[in-house]
Amino acid sequence: MQGAELAQLGVGVVVVLLVAFYGGTFLMSTRIGKKEEDADAYMTAGNKVGFGISAASMTATWIWASSMYASATSGYTYGVSGPIHYGLWGALMILFIYPFGRRIRAVAPKAHTLAEVMYARHGRSSQLMLAGSNVVGSVISLMSNFIAGGALISLLSPLTFMQGVIIVAGGVLLYTLWSGFRASVMTDFAQVMAMLGAVAVIVPAIFFAAGFPTSFTAGADNLTAQQGSFFSSEAFMNQGAPYIAAVLAYAIGNQTIAQRLFAVREDLIRPTFVTATIGYGAMVIGVGMLGVLALYLGIEPMGGDPNNLVPQMAATFLPPVLLAVFFVMIIGALSSTADSDLSALSSIMMADVYGQTVAGKGKADPRTMLLVGRVTMVVATALAVAFASMRLSILDLLVFVGALWGALVFPVIASFYWKKVTNRAFTAGVVAALAAFLPVRFGLVPLDGVAGLVVDVLAVIGIGVVVGLMAFGFFGLRVAKVVGVVAVVAAAPFALGALHEYATLSSSLLAYAVSTLVCYLMSFRSQESFDFELIKQRTGDFDREPQAAQVRAGAAVSD
Amino acid sequence: VLSAVTVLVIMGVIARGFAKDVHQAHVEGRDVI
Repeated sequence: MQGAELAQLGVGVVVVLLVAFYGGTFLMSTRIGKKEEDADAYMTAGNKVGFGISAASMTATWIWASSMYASATSGYTYGVSGPIHYGLWGALMILFIYPFGRRIRAVAPKAHTLAEVMYARHGRSSQLMLAGSNVVGSVISLMSNFIAGGALISLLSPLTFMQGVIIVAGGVLLYTLWSGFRASVMTDFAQVMAMLGAVAVIVPAIFFAAGFPTSFTAGADNLTAQQGSFFSSEAFMNQGAPYIAAVLAYAIGNQTIAQRLFAVREDLIRPTFVTATIGYGAMVIGVGMLGVLALYLGIEPMGGDPNNLVPQMAATFLPPVLLAVFFVMIIGALSSTADSDLSALSSIMMADVYGQTVAGKGKADPRTMLLVGRVTMVVATALAVAFASMRLSILDLLVFVGALWGALVFPVIASFYWKKVTNRAFTAGVVAALAAFLPVRFGLVPLDGVAGLVVDVLAVIGIGVVVGLMAFGFFGLRVAKVVGVVAVVAAAPFALGALHEYATLSSSLLAYAVSTLVCYLMSFRSQESFDFELIKQRTGDFDREPQAAQVRAGAAVSD
Repeated sequence: VLSAVTVLVIMGVIARGFAKDVHQAHVEGRDVI
Protein backbone atom coordinates (compact mmCIF):
# COMPACT_ATOMS: atom_id res chain seq x y z
CA MET A 1 0.00 0.00 0.00
CA GLN A 2 2.85 2.36 0.80
CA GLY A 3 4.16 2.20 -2.67
CA ALA A 4 0.83 2.67 -4.43
CA GLU A 5 0.99 4.99 -7.44
CA LEU A 6 -0.94 8.23 -6.98
CA ALA A 7 -3.27 9.29 -9.78
CA GLN A 8 -2.74 12.76 -11.25
CA LEU A 9 -4.87 15.15 -13.24
CA GLY A 10 -3.28 16.57 -16.40
CA VAL A 11 -2.32 20.25 -16.70
CA GLY A 12 -5.20 20.78 -19.12
CA VAL A 13 -7.78 19.27 -16.76
CA VAL A 14 -6.51 21.28 -13.78
CA VAL A 15 -6.50 24.53 -15.77
CA VAL A 16 -10.04 23.88 -17.05
CA LEU A 17 -11.26 23.12 -13.51
CA LEU A 18 -9.61 26.25 -12.08
CA VAL A 19 -10.90 28.49 -14.88
CA ALA A 20 -14.41 27.02 -14.46
CA PHE A 21 -14.31 27.46 -10.67
CA TYR A 22 -12.85 30.97 -10.50
CA GLY A 23 -14.61 32.06 -13.69
CA GLY A 24 -17.93 30.91 -12.23
CA THR A 25 -17.40 32.64 -8.89
CA PHE A 26 -16.26 35.81 -10.68
CA LEU A 27 -19.43 35.77 -12.81
CA MET A 28 -21.50 35.38 -9.62
CA SER A 29 -19.76 38.38 -8.10
CA THR A 30 -20.40 40.50 -11.21
CA ARG A 31 -24.13 39.72 -10.91
CA ILE A 32 -24.25 41.52 -7.55
CA GLY A 33 -21.56 44.11 -8.29
CA LYS A 34 -22.46 47.80 -8.37
CA LYS A 35 -20.64 50.58 -10.18
CA GLU A 36 -20.69 52.60 -6.96
CA GLU A 37 -20.27 50.18 -4.06
CA ASP A 38 -21.37 51.18 -0.56
CA ALA A 39 -18.61 51.23 2.08
CA ASP A 40 -20.81 49.70 4.81
CA ALA A 41 -22.13 46.99 2.49
CA TYR A 42 -18.52 46.26 1.50
CA MET A 43 -17.94 45.35 5.18
CA THR A 44 -21.24 43.91 6.45
CA ALA A 45 -23.73 43.78 3.53
CA GLY A 46 -26.24 46.08 5.20
CA ASN A 47 -26.73 44.09 8.47
CA LYS A 48 -29.80 42.19 7.19
CA VAL A 49 -28.59 39.15 5.28
CA GLY A 50 -31.08 36.25 5.22
CA PHE A 51 -30.77 32.79 6.79
CA GLY A 52 -29.80 30.76 3.71
CA ILE A 53 -26.95 33.00 2.60
CA SER A 54 -25.70 33.55 6.16
CA ALA A 55 -25.77 29.86 7.10
CA ALA A 56 -24.01 28.96 3.85
CA SER A 57 -21.41 31.66 4.40
CA MET A 58 -20.68 30.76 8.03
CA THR A 59 -20.38 27.08 7.12
CA ALA A 60 -18.16 27.70 4.10
CA THR A 61 -15.94 30.14 5.97
CA TRP A 62 -15.29 27.81 8.90
CA ILE A 63 -14.61 24.78 6.66
CA TRP A 64 -11.18 25.22 5.15
CA ALA A 65 -8.66 22.85 3.64
CA SER A 66 -6.50 22.81 6.77
CA SER A 67 -9.44 21.81 8.98
CA MET A 68 -10.12 18.78 6.79
CA TYR A 69 -6.44 17.83 6.66
CA ALA A 70 -6.00 18.33 10.41
CA SER A 71 -9.10 16.29 11.21
CA ALA A 72 -7.73 13.40 9.15
CA THR A 73 -4.35 13.80 10.86
CA SER A 74 -6.12 13.59 14.21
CA GLY A 75 -7.92 10.44 13.06
CA TYR A 76 -4.67 8.89 11.90
CA THR A 77 -2.82 9.84 15.10
CA TYR A 78 -5.44 9.26 17.80
CA GLY A 79 -7.77 6.76 16.12
CA VAL A 80 -11.57 6.73 16.07
CA SER A 81 -12.05 9.57 18.57
CA GLY A 82 -9.54 11.87 16.83
CA PRO A 83 -11.86 13.42 14.20
CA ILE A 84 -14.57 13.85 16.84
CA HIS A 85 -12.19 15.74 19.14
CA TYR A 86 -11.17 17.92 16.19
CA GLY A 87 -14.52 18.47 14.45
CA LEU A 88 -16.87 18.61 17.43
CA TRP A 89 -15.00 21.31 19.34
CA GLY A 90 -14.31 23.21 16.13
CA ALA A 91 -18.05 23.17 15.45
CA LEU A 92 -18.83 24.34 18.98
CA MET A 93 -16.70 27.43 18.33
CA ILE A 94 -19.54 28.54 16.06
CA LEU A 95 -22.29 27.49 18.47
CA PHE A 96 -20.91 29.04 21.65
CA ILE A 97 -20.35 32.47 20.14
CA TYR A 98 -23.95 33.06 19.09
CA PRO A 99 -25.38 33.98 22.54
CA PHE A 100 -22.60 36.56 22.87
CA GLY A 101 -23.24 37.60 19.28
CA ARG A 102 -26.83 38.47 20.13
CA ARG A 103 -25.64 40.66 23.01
CA ILE A 104 -23.01 42.31 20.80
CA ARG A 105 -25.64 43.06 18.14
CA ALA A 106 -27.97 44.46 20.81
CA VAL A 107 -25.40 47.00 22.00
CA ALA A 108 -23.84 47.69 18.56
CA PRO A 109 -26.40 46.85 15.87
CA LYS A 110 -24.53 48.53 13.02
CA ALA A 111 -20.88 47.97 13.89
CA HIS A 112 -18.48 46.38 11.40
CA THR A 113 -15.77 44.85 13.59
CA LEU A 114 -15.46 43.76 17.23
CA ALA A 115 -12.45 46.03 17.59
CA GLU A 116 -14.57 49.00 16.50
CA VAL A 117 -16.97 48.19 19.36
CA MET A 118 -14.04 47.89 21.79
CA TYR A 119 -12.99 51.40 20.74
CA ALA A 120 -16.48 52.67 21.49
CA ARG A 121 -16.49 50.82 24.83
CA HIS A 122 -12.96 51.49 26.06
CA GLY A 123 -10.70 53.41 23.71
CA ARG A 124 -7.65 52.93 21.57
CA SER A 125 -5.50 50.33 23.35
CA SER A 126 -8.27 47.74 23.67
CA GLN A 127 -9.25 48.30 20.05
CA LEU A 128 -5.69 47.87 18.79
CA MET A 129 -5.11 44.70 20.84
CA LEU A 130 -8.21 43.06 19.40
CA ALA A 131 -7.69 44.39 15.86
CA GLY A 132 -4.04 43.33 15.95
CA SER A 133 -4.90 39.78 16.99
CA ASN A 134 -7.62 39.65 14.31
CA VAL A 135 -5.15 40.75 11.62
CA VAL A 136 -2.52 38.20 12.66
CA GLY A 137 -5.11 35.41 12.64
CA SER A 138 -6.50 36.36 9.24
CA VAL A 139 -3.07 36.73 7.59
CA ILE A 140 -2.03 33.29 8.91
CA SER A 141 -5.30 31.78 7.71
CA LEU A 142 -4.95 33.42 4.28
CA MET A 143 -1.38 32.16 3.95
CA SER A 144 -2.47 28.68 5.04
CA ASN A 145 -5.19 28.52 2.39
CA PHE A 146 -2.79 29.61 -0.33
CA ILE A 147 -0.29 26.95 0.83
CA ALA A 148 -3.03 24.30 0.77
CA GLY A 149 -3.97 25.35 -2.77
CA GLY A 150 -0.38 25.28 -3.99
CA ALA A 151 0.25 21.91 -2.36
CA LEU A 152 -2.91 20.38 -3.83
CA ILE A 153 -2.24 21.66 -7.35
CA SER A 154 1.38 20.49 -7.27
CA LEU A 155 0.31 17.09 -5.90
CA LEU A 156 -2.41 16.41 -8.45
CA SER A 157 -0.88 18.03 -11.54
CA PRO A 158 2.52 18.79 -13.11
CA LEU A 159 2.17 22.47 -12.07
CA THR A 160 4.57 23.68 -9.35
CA PHE A 161 3.68 24.70 -5.78
CA MET A 162 4.23 28.42 -6.39
CA GLN A 163 2.28 28.33 -9.67
CA GLY A 164 -0.60 26.84 -7.68
CA VAL A 165 -0.31 29.47 -4.93
CA ILE A 166 -0.38 32.33 -7.45
CA ILE A 167 -3.37 30.87 -9.34
CA VAL A 168 -5.40 30.45 -6.13
CA ALA A 169 -4.43 33.90 -4.79
CA GLY A 170 -5.27 35.57 -8.10
CA GLY A 171 -8.56 33.70 -8.42
CA VAL A 172 -9.76 34.63 -4.93
CA LEU A 173 -8.71 38.27 -5.30
CA LEU A 174 -10.42 38.48 -8.71
CA TYR A 175 -13.92 37.80 -7.41
CA THR A 176 -13.60 39.45 -3.96
CA LEU A 177 -11.90 42.74 -4.78
CA TRP A 178 -14.78 44.82 -6.15
CA SER A 179 -17.73 43.97 -3.89
CA GLY A 180 -15.87 42.77 -0.78
CA PHE A 181 -17.94 41.00 1.87
CA ARG A 182 -21.02 40.93 -0.40
CA ALA A 183 -19.12 38.92 -3.01
CA SER A 184 -17.64 36.70 -0.30
CA VAL A 185 -20.99 35.65 1.20
CA MET A 186 -22.78 35.34 -2.14
CA THR A 187 -20.15 33.03 -3.62
CA ASP A 188 -20.02 31.11 -0.32
CA PHE A 189 -23.47 29.73 -1.10
CA ALA A 190 -22.33 28.14 -4.37
CA GLN A 191 -19.09 26.98 -2.78
CA VAL A 192 -20.75 25.30 0.21
CA MET A 193 -23.27 23.54 -2.03
CA ALA A 194 -20.39 22.22 -4.15
CA MET A 195 -18.40 21.19 -1.05
CA LEU A 196 -21.24 19.39 0.73
CA GLY A 197 -22.45 17.72 -2.45
CA ALA A 198 -18.94 16.55 -3.28
CA VAL A 199 -18.06 15.28 0.19
CA ALA A 200 -21.29 13.25 0.44
CA VAL A 201 -20.13 11.29 -2.62
CA ILE A 202 -16.35 11.28 -2.22
CA VAL A 203 -15.96 9.97 1.34
CA PRO A 204 -18.24 6.92 0.87
CA ALA A 205 -16.59 6.30 -2.54
CA ILE A 206 -13.13 6.16 -0.93
CA PHE A 207 -14.41 3.88 1.85
CA PHE A 208 -15.96 1.42 -0.60
CA ALA A 209 -12.95 1.55 -2.97
CA ALA A 210 -10.74 0.72 0.04
CA GLY A 211 -12.71 -2.44 0.78
CA PHE A 212 -15.23 -1.15 3.32
CA PRO A 213 -16.58 -2.73 5.52
CA THR A 214 -14.12 -5.66 5.58
CA SER A 215 -11.16 -3.24 5.86
CA PHE A 216 -12.43 -2.28 9.33
CA THR A 217 -12.41 -5.83 10.63
CA ALA A 218 -9.24 -6.91 8.80
CA GLY A 219 -7.24 -3.86 9.90
CA ALA A 220 -8.34 -3.68 13.54
CA ASP A 221 -4.94 -5.02 14.64
CA ASN A 222 -3.29 -1.85 13.28
CA LEU A 223 -4.86 0.18 16.12
CA THR A 224 -3.63 0.46 19.69
CA ALA A 225 -6.18 0.16 22.51
CA GLN A 226 -6.25 3.98 22.81
CA GLN A 227 -6.76 4.43 19.05
CA GLY A 228 -9.62 1.93 19.06
CA SER A 229 -11.52 3.66 21.86
CA PHE A 230 -14.05 6.47 21.49
CA PHE A 231 -13.03 7.53 25.01
CA SER A 232 -9.29 7.74 24.47
CA SER A 233 -7.64 9.80 27.22
CA GLU A 234 -4.65 10.38 24.93
CA ALA A 235 -6.90 11.92 22.27
CA PHE A 236 -8.71 14.00 24.87
CA MET A 237 -5.58 15.44 26.51
CA ASN A 238 -3.66 16.12 23.29
CA GLN A 239 -6.44 17.04 20.86
CA GLY A 240 -9.75 17.53 22.68
CA ALA A 241 -8.81 19.54 25.78
CA PRO A 242 -6.66 22.18 24.01
CA TYR A 243 -9.48 22.61 21.51
CA ILE A 244 -12.13 22.98 24.22
CA ALA A 245 -9.93 25.68 25.74
CA ALA A 246 -9.76 27.37 22.34
CA VAL A 247 -13.53 27.27 21.63
CA LEU A 248 -14.25 30.82 22.77
CA ALA A 249 -10.79 32.12 21.89
CA TYR A 250 -11.11 31.31 18.19
CA ALA A 251 -14.63 32.72 18.10
CA ILE A 252 -13.60 36.01 19.75
CA GLY A 253 -10.27 36.32 17.94
CA ASN A 254 -11.63 35.73 14.46
CA GLN A 255 -13.06 38.71 12.58
CA THR A 256 -14.66 36.41 9.97
CA ILE A 257 -17.17 35.25 12.62
CA ALA A 258 -17.74 38.76 13.96
CA GLN A 259 -18.39 40.02 10.43
CA ARG A 260 -21.17 37.45 9.95
CA LEU A 261 -22.62 38.25 13.37
CA PHE A 262 -22.95 41.88 12.26
CA ALA A 263 -24.21 40.97 8.76
CA VAL A 264 -27.01 38.47 9.46
CA ARG A 265 -30.50 39.75 10.28
CA GLU A 266 -30.53 40.01 14.07
CA ASP A 267 -33.44 37.58 14.60
CA LEU A 268 -31.69 34.95 12.45
CA ILE A 269 -28.43 34.71 14.42
CA ARG A 270 -29.42 31.51 16.26
CA PRO A 271 -30.69 29.39 13.31
CA THR A 272 -27.76 30.57 11.20
CA PHE A 273 -25.10 29.58 13.72
CA VAL A 274 -26.80 26.32 14.75
CA THR A 275 -27.00 25.24 11.09
CA ALA A 276 -23.37 26.17 10.48
CA THR A 277 -22.35 24.22 13.61
CA ILE A 278 -23.97 21.03 12.31
CA GLY A 279 -22.72 21.60 8.74
CA TYR A 280 -19.13 22.15 9.83
CA GLY A 281 -19.14 19.24 12.29
CA ALA A 282 -20.62 16.80 9.79
CA MET A 283 -18.21 17.74 7.02
CA VAL A 284 -15.01 17.88 9.06
CA ILE A 285 -15.65 14.77 11.17
CA GLY A 286 -16.63 12.89 8.00
CA VAL A 287 -13.46 13.83 6.13
CA GLY A 288 -11.45 13.12 9.29
CA MET A 289 -12.66 9.52 9.14
CA LEU A 290 -10.42 9.14 6.07
CA GLY A 291 -7.50 9.37 8.51
CA VAL A 292 -9.05 6.60 10.62
CA LEU A 293 -9.48 4.51 7.46
CA ALA A 294 -5.81 5.06 6.56
CA LEU A 295 -4.89 3.86 10.04
CA TYR A 296 -6.97 0.68 9.61
CA LEU A 297 -5.39 0.07 6.20
CA GLY A 298 -1.85 0.60 7.49
CA ILE A 299 -1.16 3.39 5.00
CA GLU A 300 1.95 5.51 5.59
CA PRO A 301 1.45 9.23 4.86
CA MET A 302 3.45 10.56 1.92
CA GLY A 303 6.73 12.12 2.98
CA GLY A 304 5.88 11.17 6.57
CA ASP A 305 3.50 14.17 6.72
CA PRO A 306 -0.04 13.24 7.89
CA ASN A 307 -1.30 16.48 6.29
CA ASN A 308 -0.92 14.68 2.95
CA LEU A 309 -3.36 11.92 3.96
CA VAL A 310 -6.58 13.38 2.52
CA PRO A 311 -5.27 14.13 -1.00
CA GLN A 312 -3.26 10.90 -0.85
CA MET A 313 -6.37 8.82 -0.08
CA ALA A 314 -8.29 10.60 -2.84
CA ALA A 315 -5.52 10.11 -5.41
CA THR A 316 -5.10 6.45 -4.41
CA PHE A 317 -8.72 5.32 -4.40
CA LEU A 318 -10.81 7.66 -6.59
CA PRO A 319 -11.40 7.34 -10.34
CA PRO A 320 -10.38 10.42 -12.41
CA VAL A 321 -13.87 11.96 -12.52
CA LEU A 322 -14.27 11.83 -8.73
CA LEU A 323 -10.68 13.01 -8.28
CA ALA A 324 -11.65 16.12 -10.28
CA VAL A 325 -14.67 16.57 -7.97
CA PHE A 326 -12.37 16.19 -4.95
CA PHE A 327 -10.05 18.83 -6.44
CA VAL A 328 -12.94 21.30 -6.79
CA MET A 329 -14.10 20.51 -3.24
CA ILE A 330 -10.74 21.43 -1.71
CA ILE A 331 -10.35 24.51 -3.93
CA GLY A 332 -13.87 25.57 -2.84
CA ALA A 333 -13.04 25.03 0.84
CA LEU A 334 -9.84 27.06 0.78
CA SER A 335 -11.23 29.80 -1.48
CA SER A 336 -14.34 30.38 0.64
CA THR A 337 -12.15 30.89 3.71
CA ALA A 338 -9.53 32.97 1.89
CA ASP A 339 -12.16 35.39 0.54
CA SER A 340 -13.53 35.74 4.09
CA ASP A 341 -10.05 36.51 5.39
CA LEU A 342 -9.62 39.20 2.73
CA SER A 343 -12.99 40.70 3.66
CA ALA A 344 -12.10 40.57 7.37
CA LEU A 345 -8.76 42.29 6.82
CA SER A 346 -10.27 44.97 4.60
CA SER A 347 -13.02 45.74 7.13
CA ILE A 348 -10.48 46.14 9.95
CA MET A 349 -8.37 48.51 7.85
CA MET A 350 -11.49 50.40 6.70
CA ALA A 351 -13.33 50.73 10.02
CA ASP A 352 -10.61 50.54 12.67
CA VAL A 353 -7.56 52.02 10.99
CA TYR A 354 -8.99 54.52 8.48
CA GLY A 355 -12.50 55.14 9.84
CA GLN A 356 -11.68 55.44 13.54
CA THR A 357 -8.00 56.35 13.61
CA VAL A 358 -6.70 58.10 10.47
CA ALA A 359 -9.72 60.10 9.33
CA GLY A 360 -11.30 60.28 12.76
CA LYS A 361 -14.89 59.75 13.76
CA GLY A 362 -17.43 61.41 11.52
CA LYS A 363 -14.85 62.57 8.99
CA ALA A 364 -14.30 59.33 7.09
CA ASP A 365 -14.94 59.59 3.34
CA PRO A 366 -16.77 56.43 2.17
CA ARG A 367 -15.04 56.50 -1.23
CA THR A 368 -11.60 56.69 0.37
CA MET A 369 -12.72 53.95 2.73
CA LEU A 370 -13.56 51.68 -0.22
CA LEU A 371 -10.15 52.40 -1.74
CA VAL A 372 -8.51 51.48 1.58
CA GLY A 373 -10.45 48.20 1.61
CA ARG A 374 -9.43 47.26 -1.93
CA VAL A 375 -5.78 48.23 -1.46
CA THR A 376 -5.76 46.15 1.75
CA MET A 377 -6.97 43.11 -0.18
CA VAL A 378 -4.24 43.48 -2.81
CA VAL A 379 -1.48 44.03 -0.22
CA ALA A 380 -2.72 41.18 2.01
CA THR A 381 -2.79 38.82 -0.97
CA ALA A 382 0.75 39.77 -1.97
CA LEU A 383 2.00 39.33 1.61
CA ALA A 384 0.26 35.97 1.99
CA VAL A 385 1.78 34.74 -1.29
CA ALA A 386 5.23 35.85 -0.12
CA PHE A 387 4.80 34.11 3.25
CA ALA A 388 3.35 31.03 1.54
CA SER A 389 6.61 30.61 -0.38
CA MET A 390 8.33 30.01 2.99
CA ARG A 391 5.98 27.06 3.72
CA LEU A 392 5.82 27.72 7.46
CA SER A 393 4.16 25.23 9.79
CA ILE A 394 0.68 26.71 9.71
CA LEU A 395 -1.10 24.55 12.26
CA ASP A 396 1.63 25.22 14.83
CA LEU A 397 1.19 28.95 14.20
CA LEU A 398 -2.58 28.69 14.52
CA VAL A 399 -2.45 26.69 17.75
CA PHE A 400 -0.09 29.35 19.12
CA VAL A 401 -2.30 32.24 18.02
CA GLY A 402 -5.42 30.44 19.28
CA ALA A 403 -3.87 30.16 22.72
CA LEU A 404 -2.88 33.82 22.59
CA TRP A 405 -6.48 34.74 21.82
CA GLY A 406 -7.42 33.11 25.14
CA ALA A 407 -5.95 36.17 26.85
CA LEU A 408 -8.62 38.34 25.21
CA VAL A 409 -11.72 36.26 25.89
CA PHE A 410 -12.74 37.35 29.40
CA PRO A 411 -11.88 41.06 28.98
CA VAL A 412 -13.80 41.23 25.68
CA ILE A 413 -16.88 39.34 26.89
CA ALA A 414 -16.99 41.15 30.25
CA SER A 415 -16.82 44.47 28.41
CA PHE A 416 -20.17 43.74 26.76
CA TYR A 417 -22.00 42.92 29.99
CA TRP A 418 -20.27 44.57 32.95
CA LYS A 419 -20.39 48.34 33.35
CA LYS A 420 -17.35 48.42 35.64
CA VAL A 421 -14.70 47.09 33.24
CA THR A 422 -12.20 49.84 32.44
CA ASN A 423 -9.77 50.27 29.57
CA ARG A 424 -6.91 49.95 32.07
CA ALA A 425 -8.28 46.66 33.44
CA PHE A 426 -8.78 45.31 29.91
CA THR A 427 -5.26 46.22 28.82
CA ALA A 428 -3.53 45.08 32.01
CA GLY A 429 -5.42 41.77 31.96
CA VAL A 430 -4.37 40.98 28.40
CA VAL A 431 -0.73 42.06 28.86
CA ALA A 432 -0.38 40.11 32.13
CA ALA A 433 -1.89 37.02 30.50
CA LEU A 434 0.56 37.22 27.60
CA ALA A 435 3.46 37.65 30.02
CA ALA A 436 2.38 34.48 31.85
CA PHE A 437 1.52 32.53 28.68
CA LEU A 438 4.75 32.90 26.68
CA PRO A 439 7.33 31.46 29.14
CA VAL A 440 5.08 28.48 29.96
CA ARG A 441 4.19 27.80 26.32
CA PHE A 442 7.83 27.76 25.20
CA GLY A 443 9.33 26.13 28.31
CA LEU A 444 11.38 29.20 29.25
CA VAL A 445 10.92 28.51 32.96
CA PRO A 446 11.42 25.13 34.66
CA LEU A 447 8.06 23.87 35.90
CA ASP A 448 9.21 21.44 38.53
CA GLY A 449 8.40 22.17 42.16
CA VAL A 450 6.51 25.28 43.22
CA ALA A 451 6.39 26.89 39.75
CA GLY A 452 4.66 23.82 38.34
CA LEU A 453 2.12 23.84 41.18
CA VAL A 454 1.40 27.55 40.63
CA VAL A 455 0.81 26.90 36.92
CA ASP A 456 -1.45 23.96 37.78
CA VAL A 457 -3.52 26.02 40.24
CA LEU A 458 -3.95 28.87 37.75
CA ALA A 459 -4.71 26.42 34.93
CA VAL A 460 -7.45 24.83 37.05
CA ILE A 461 -8.90 28.31 37.60
CA GLY A 462 -8.64 28.67 33.80
CA ILE A 463 -10.79 25.55 33.41
CA GLY A 464 -13.43 27.18 35.62
CA VAL A 465 -13.27 30.37 33.54
CA VAL A 466 -13.62 28.54 30.20
CA VAL A 467 -16.52 26.34 31.32
CA GLY A 468 -18.16 29.18 33.24
CA LEU A 469 -18.06 31.52 30.23
CA MET A 470 -19.56 28.81 28.00
CA ALA A 471 -22.43 28.38 30.48
CA PHE A 472 -22.80 32.15 30.90
CA GLY A 473 -23.62 32.67 27.23
CA PHE A 474 -26.59 30.33 27.39
CA PHE A 475 -27.76 30.38 31.02
CA GLY A 476 -26.63 33.64 32.63
CA LEU A 477 -24.34 34.59 35.51
CA ARG A 478 -25.78 32.51 38.37
CA VAL A 479 -25.58 29.20 36.49
CA ALA A 480 -22.15 30.17 35.11
CA LYS A 481 -20.74 30.67 38.62
CA VAL A 482 -22.05 27.28 39.78
CA VAL A 483 -20.79 25.50 36.64
CA GLY A 484 -17.39 27.21 36.89
CA VAL A 485 -16.91 26.23 40.54
CA VAL A 486 -18.05 22.65 39.87
CA ALA A 487 -15.57 22.43 36.97
CA VAL A 488 -12.71 23.63 39.19
CA VAL A 489 -13.58 21.19 41.99
CA ALA A 490 -13.99 18.30 39.54
CA ALA A 491 -10.75 19.02 37.65
CA ALA A 492 -8.48 19.83 40.60
CA PRO A 493 -7.80 16.25 41.83
CA PHE A 494 -6.70 15.18 38.33
CA ALA A 495 -5.02 18.41 37.21
CA LEU A 496 -2.95 19.48 40.21
CA GLY A 497 0.54 18.09 39.81
CA ALA A 498 -0.02 16.95 36.21
CA LEU A 499 -1.43 19.71 34.02
CA HIS A 500 1.85 21.65 33.61
CA GLU A 501 3.25 18.67 31.68
CA TYR A 502 0.93 19.59 28.78
CA ALA A 503 2.49 22.90 27.68
CA THR A 504 -0.07 23.88 25.02
CA LEU A 505 -3.07 23.18 27.22
CA SER A 506 -1.74 24.57 30.52
CA SER A 507 -0.35 27.77 28.96
CA SER A 508 -3.67 28.42 27.22
CA LEU A 509 -5.64 27.90 30.46
CA LEU A 510 -3.09 30.08 32.26
CA ALA A 511 -3.83 32.91 29.81
CA TYR A 512 -7.56 32.63 30.56
CA ALA A 513 -7.01 32.60 34.31
CA VAL A 514 -4.54 35.49 34.50
CA SER A 515 -6.51 37.80 32.18
CA THR A 516 -9.70 37.04 34.12
CA LEU A 517 -8.18 37.55 37.57
CA VAL A 518 -6.37 40.79 36.66
CA CYS A 519 -9.33 42.24 34.74
CA TYR A 520 -11.77 41.31 37.52
CA LEU A 521 -9.61 42.53 40.41
CA MET A 522 -8.94 45.86 38.67
CA SER A 523 -12.61 46.36 37.81
CA PHE A 524 -14.75 45.25 40.72
CA ARG A 525 -13.87 48.27 42.87
CA SER A 526 -13.85 50.74 39.99
CA GLN A 527 -16.30 53.66 39.97
CA GLU A 528 -16.97 53.26 36.25
CA SER A 529 -20.61 52.75 35.28
CA PHE A 530 -20.55 52.61 31.51
CA ASP A 531 -23.74 53.44 29.60
CA PHE A 532 -24.02 50.79 26.86
CA GLU A 533 -26.34 53.06 24.86
CA LEU A 534 -23.23 55.10 24.00
CA ILE A 535 -21.91 52.25 21.84
CA LYS A 536 -24.86 52.60 19.45
CA GLN A 537 -24.01 56.28 19.05
CA ARG A 538 -20.30 55.69 18.59
CA THR A 539 -20.61 52.95 15.97
CA GLY A 540 -22.75 52.79 12.86
CA ASP A 541 -22.90 53.39 9.14
CA PHE A 542 -20.13 55.39 7.53
CA ASP A 543 -21.90 55.72 4.20
CA ARG A 544 -25.57 56.49 4.42
CA GLU A 545 -26.26 58.43 7.58
CA PRO A 546 -24.40 61.72 7.80
CA GLN A 547 -26.39 62.59 10.92
CA ALA A 548 -25.15 59.41 12.61
CA ALA A 549 -21.62 60.33 11.67
CA GLN A 550 -22.07 63.70 13.34
CA VAL A 551 -23.32 62.00 16.51
CA ARG A 552 -20.24 59.79 16.43
CA ALA A 553 -18.08 62.87 16.02
CA GLY A 554 -19.64 64.40 19.09
CA ALA A 555 -19.31 61.32 21.27
CA ALA A 556 -16.22 61.67 23.38
CA VAL A 557 -14.33 58.46 23.89
CA SER A 558 -12.04 58.24 26.85
CA ASP A 559 -8.74 56.60 26.10
CA VAL B 1 -20.35 1.56 14.91
CA LEU B 2 -17.90 2.91 12.31
CA SER B 3 -19.71 1.08 9.50
CA ALA B 4 -23.07 2.50 10.58
CA VAL B 5 -27.58 11.56 4.69
CA THR B 6 -26.73 14.13 7.40
CA VAL B 7 -24.66 16.12 4.92
CA LEU B 8 -27.46 16.05 2.33
CA VAL B 9 -30.02 17.21 4.93
CA ILE B 10 -27.80 20.20 5.80
CA MET B 11 -27.48 20.96 2.09
CA GLY B 12 -31.26 20.90 1.79
CA VAL B 13 -31.77 23.23 4.77
CA ILE B 14 -29.29 25.78 3.39
CA ALA B 15 -30.66 25.56 -0.18
CA ARG B 16 -34.23 26.05 1.08
CA GLY B 17 -33.11 29.05 3.13
CA PHE B 18 -31.36 30.53 0.11
CA ALA B 19 -34.48 30.10 -2.04
CA LYS B 20 -36.51 31.89 0.65
CA ASP B 21 -33.95 34.72 0.79
CA VAL B 22 -34.18 35.19 -2.99
CA HIS B 23 -38.00 35.07 -2.92
CA GLN B 24 -38.20 37.55 -0.03
CA ALA B 25 -35.85 39.96 -1.80
CA HIS B 26 -37.94 39.66 -4.98
CA VAL B 27 -41.18 40.38 -3.07
CA GLU B 28 -39.61 43.42 -1.39
CA GLY B 29 -38.09 44.61 -4.66
CA ARG B 30 -34.51 44.73 -3.38
CA ASP B 31 -31.24 42.93 -4.06
CA VAL B 32 -30.79 39.59 -2.30
CA ILE B 33 -27.57 40.96 -0.79
